[in-house]
Amino acid sequence: MILLEDRKMAAHLSYGRVNLNILREAARKELREFLDKCAGSKAIVWDEYLTGPFGLIAQYSLLKEHEVEKMFTLKGGRLPAADVKNIIFFVRPRLELMDIIAENVISEDKLRSPRDFHILFVPRHSLLCKQRLEEQGVLGSFINIDEYILDLIPYDGDLLSMESESAFRECYLENDQTSLYHTAKGLMTLQALYGTIPQIFGKGECARHVANMMLRMKREFAGSQTQILPVFDTLLLLDRNVDLLTPLATQLTYEGLIDEVYGITNGYVKLPPENKKAKIISAAFEERHNAKTVGEIKQFVSQLPHMQAARSSLANHTSIAELIKDITTSEAFFDNLTVEQEFMTGVDTDKVNTYIEDCMAQKDPLIKILRLVCMQSVCNNGLKQKVLDYYKREILQTYGYEHILTLGNLEKTGLLKLQTSARNSYPTIRKTLKLWMEDANEQRAADAAPDAAGVAQHRGGAEDAPGPHFEERQQLPAGLHKKRQQGENNTTLVFFLGGVTYAEIAALRFLSQMEDGGTEYIIATTKLINGTSWVRSLMDRLETLPF
Amino acid sequence: FYVRASYQEGKLEARLSHLQSAVDEYNKAKNEFAAKATEEEMRLLRFQRRVEEEKGERVLGSSLQDTMHCLISAGLHKQAEQLYKDFRVPDKRYWWLKLSALAEKEDWDELEKF
Repeated sequence: MILLEDRKMAAHLSYGRVNLNILREAARKELREFLDKCAGSKAIVWDEYLTGPFGLIAQYSLLKEHEVEKMFTLKGGRLPAADVKNIIFFVRPRLELMDIIAENVISEDKLRSPRDFHILFVPRHSLLCKQRLEEQGVLGSFINIDEYILDLIPYDGDLLSMESESAFRECYLENDQTSLYHTAKGLMTLQALYGTIPQIFGKGECARHVANMMLRMKREFAGSQTQILPVFDTLLLLDRNVDLLTPLATQLTYEGLIDEVYGITNGYVKLPPENKKAKIISAAFEERHNAKTVGEIKQFVSQLPHMQAARSSLANHTSIAELIKDITTSEAFFDNLTVEQEFMTGVDTDKVNTYIEDCMAQKDPLIKILRLVCMQSVCNNGLKQKVLDYYKREILQTYGYEHILTLGNLEKTGLLKLQTSARNSYPTIRKTLKLWMEDANEQRAADAAPDAAGVAQHRGGAEDAPGPHFEERQQLPAGLHKKRQQGENNTTLVFFLGGVTYAEIAALRFLSQMEDGGTEYIIATTKLINGTSWVRSLMDRLETLPF
Repeated sequence: FYVRASYQEGKLEARLSHLQSAVDEYNKAKNEFAAKATEEEMRLLRFQRRVEEEKGERVLGSSLQDTMHCLISAGLHKQAEQLYKDFRVPDKRYWWLKLSALAEKEDWDELEKF
């Protein structure tokens, strides 16, 4: 595992105009306070899912300062031996995890010296979980049961994520608004630190819900107004289902491609081990020969750590680029892309596509097929009954009947649908927002994220895009109205409900950098996604008992 | 719901009865496609059981495509052909399947035949 970008290190969160380090510091402070509550040496038992996000908040050294001596992964049976006074469980509020904890605690009690147990729920505690612990008869064993509110995790200088895998599924498929509540809470935390955001724009049902919750929460806290000069001018809430197309398409930006091919989790990417080490070593330290005088050598030495970092980073990126290039120049990748582009430009989207047929005949990965079929459906504003049934039947016959539930999910979320009206609105949207650019190299970034960038630019001006459009204003305390200097940029926080792709992030960064844009974008989301992880989150995996 | 339950059944009979309930539900919900697909799955399961009993090939529970692949690999061309017709498999996919299955087995004689 290598760190994808050195930029991801903490110090660099303060780069942009909005200093996200403040948020990170606040998160760390809270963590420290909790750790200090449990006096004496500690061992942390981790819910594996949380280690990644926590790594972005606090390094091991911070934990060590607070007498954390051992760390384990949460699993059934007995806890590994550790000579510590406190055992702290860091867990998500899931019932199945409660059972494991109970098992841990029970098997521990029989042993020697008494210990103190604590639970830290991330991001919220749940009554159901406590009840479960009580049923298991272990609730009394815990000294502290606390919640650690980790809503928006700073990822990069301009990027926040909640890392909630199932947010899209919950909001759009299961109608579960828990993650929307977390979003609203997270935005409130943000406002407490960065001041009230005067303008809220939104697009879509879920965006509406979040805005309503925020306004309600604000009323509840009325009186405790923060006296902070607002950093953000505008909040733009976007439903993922405003633009279902972008995540389905292959991302063509650098970071996007890395994500497509290898998958990025929590700022880390797992690469195949070959091809890396030799280069880093051979490339480094060549420059040493150029230094002549003692002074120059001294200067050189002082730069060494920085240069080393830059070198290895460069070497890493070069080899990553090479790996990626091998894939992007392959025929399969090209074929796939051609079909995607055909769909996007509206070529033959109402017929059964032969490329998809061929892929199914060769039993390519199901997710790839689903991505393509959904893409065709979205571009065509739904598929004709005959075409849709044909695809569904082929999928079931090839990959097994159990995927009928997955197909159902895709239909419920609108990724796959029956064409109801003869009119196909996609080409109209495509034209009005100028989403498609022929011959586009640098433009590619903006082009790769059609609606997102478009809507951000036009402030939801795309009337044809689905979902209600709304606008709210939040009253600022007197005297906090920002006096805008001439030439100063606007800052907009764009929140994607249900996930955002690296390509869309790249598109917004591109807009931020445009000189005449005049707006700087900070991006927040429930989860960083790509088509594969997104479609996977909508799949129903059945555990089949063998006959 | 019934679909989910059916997969938790290790016994064929129980699974079939769950699927039958699923068919009824899908019909009630006027989801013709799903009802038909479920019926087909039941037919496939019965067919697979017959093959297992008669030929001793382990195919029960796998997808139609995998079943045909398995049958061709085992040289049971007649049965594969029957599935191909019964389930109206598109020609293209079937030829692909047959080619790759035969090639894997290096059964060049059979390949010659078509």
